[in-house]
Amino acid sequence: MATSSSLTLSSATFSKLSPHPYLLANLQASDSSSPSARTNGRLPQQARQPYINTSSLSHAHGSAVVRTGDTTVICGVRGETLLTSAVPNYRAPDDSSGATLNEARDYDLLVPNIELATGCAPNFLPGVPPTTLAQTLSTRVYSLLHSSKLLNVSGLRIYQKDGSELSGRQRGNEAMEEDDEGDSTITERAVKAYWVLYIDVLFISFDGNPFDAAWAAILAALQDTKLPQAYWDPDREMVLCSPKKRLPLTLSGFPVATTAAVFTAKEKPKKGGGQYWILVDPDRLEEGLCDETVTIVVDCPKEGTKVLGISNHGGTVVGPVLMKELAKAAESRWNDFRKAVS
Amino acid sequence: MASHDPEARLSHLQSADGSATFSHAGYTVVGAVNGPIEVQRRDELPEEAVVDVIVRPAAGVGGTRERHLESLLQSTLRQIILINNFPRTLIQVTLQVTVSPENEYVNAKLSQAATNLPILPTLIQTALLALLSAAIPLTATVTAAVLAIVADDGASTIIVDPTAREIQVSRSLHVFAFTSRDELLLNESEGEFTMQEWDNAFATAQRQCCPAPTSDDVDMEGGSQADLKNFTRSTLETKTASDLYWK
Repeated sequence: MATSSSLTLSSATFSKLSPHPYLLANLQASDSSSPSARTNGRLPQQARQPYINTSSLSHAHGSAVVRTGDTTVICGVRGETLLTSAVPNYRAPDDSSGATLNEARDYDLLVPNIELATGCAPNFLPGVPPTTLAQTLSTRVYSLLHSSKLLNVSGLRIYQKDGSELSGRQRGNEAMEEDDEGDSTITERAVKAYWVLYIDVLFISFDGNPFDAAWAAILAALQDTKLPQAYWDPDREMVLCSPKKRLPLTLSGFPVATTAAVFTAKEKPKKGGGQYWILVDPDRLEEGLCDETVTIVVDCPKEGTKVLGISNHGGTVVGPVLMKELAKAAESRWNDFRKAVS
Repeated sequence: MASHDPEARLSHLQSADGSATFSHAGYTVVGAVNGPIEVQRRDELPEEAVVDVIVRPAAGVGGTRERHLESLLQSTLRQIILINNFPRTLIQVTLQVTVSPENEYVNAKLSQAATNLPILPTLIQTALLALLSAAIPLTATVTAAVLAIVADDGASTIIVDPTAREIQVSRSLHVFAFTSRDELLLNESEGEFTMQEWDNAFATAQRQCCPAPTSDDVDMEGGSQADLKNFTRSTLETKTASDLYWK
């Protein structure tokens, strides 16, 4: 840095001119008394506090706005009916046969889409096809929705209206299927249609860590989703919905994603060694300077923590030891989100 | 286990700088590498080479799933290519899937395969062989493995190179890639598992990808799994030997 006062740079200019040394200077504590902090004032392992607001969209069946720092995401869930007669190669679900049929995946009952709005960050330009980032995020969200088995598909089935009254049919169905497996009930209870959930995520502002925010928004929106009670009317041969009764979706668990980026002291790290920092919940500046990122999806029910996904690529710093540390960080992040939802 | 034996052909495409075809665990991928070549002005990086990866599926045109695979491969290959040696250039890796295993138990859809992960090791291995064939300087080679954890009445077993059916009934699926210096370069896991299970999977993958250097008799141990690290080495040794035969 220049000694003359006229040549001294403001920190904003420094960060624009050479972001890597700028972040490094912040992280490398000048004296041992002050802990190393990031350019945004957070500690390396400190995540941004999430704020969640649900049911803000009036025309969606469920919606949520999630804000972590300057990253703001809105997610809307809209259900539409899909007749089984319109599905090619349709096979009636048979609960006794087990896992061979995956209706949600086979019939595309979950349709997530992520859009990075123009202007949410300077690098997203108007009038261009979806960026690689948007497509990658959509794929990751789609994979996680299916691999985590978050949604109970039986709640998306629409049955023919039978003699019994409508109230409590959801619970009634399951009970009946359990206790009598006769052919007559199964044919009566044939699935006539499905709810297809269109899950649209829009980034209002983007300041790093898009996956965690998008996933939290989807989770909160799905928890908020209430679908009208629907049944197949054989006389009119169409799906009808009852205007009053709305049923929430049944979700299994509360998976939360935590992303961390690895910042290396050298811009071009040589083999092995070198100082590095794990930056949990990176912002946009940090994401641009880090090659390696780790995302861990955990759910911490009372029975014990389970991991629902790990994605680690772009570097060789994180090994099994660091991965366990990050799993711990993910657990505390899970508590943050749990509190933010309730 | 014949279908599990890896096979490779090197430098068989005439127009590309480097090429390789690699078959393993039911997948066959053709890879071509061009580089360092001129890069489009707006993509140019002043201090390093741009690595561009294109993945084309066995059927149909590429979609969001291919973009995801491309971004995973791109960030992985950037770590092993000496990109700082070629500033303001482009190294293009094109991978065309030609054979992918079918799961006869489900009515398969062409466009959206069940999961992205099982094909990843084959793509990585093909890209590596094609890069070696194109004589792009690398810091390390990379070896990848896919594992499935299947729950069998309480006890969970780890299956290396699972079949499509085994993947479908598995509880979790893991892809690990290690550099030749035995560092973890890439890990993608999905499904439901504990960190303990992940540790076991990691250890199995490490044994698979980074065999102890002293064990020349690795084939004698009766392991049905291929040792991809030595496979890469022996493939290139054979190729170099045949290329230098005229001397």
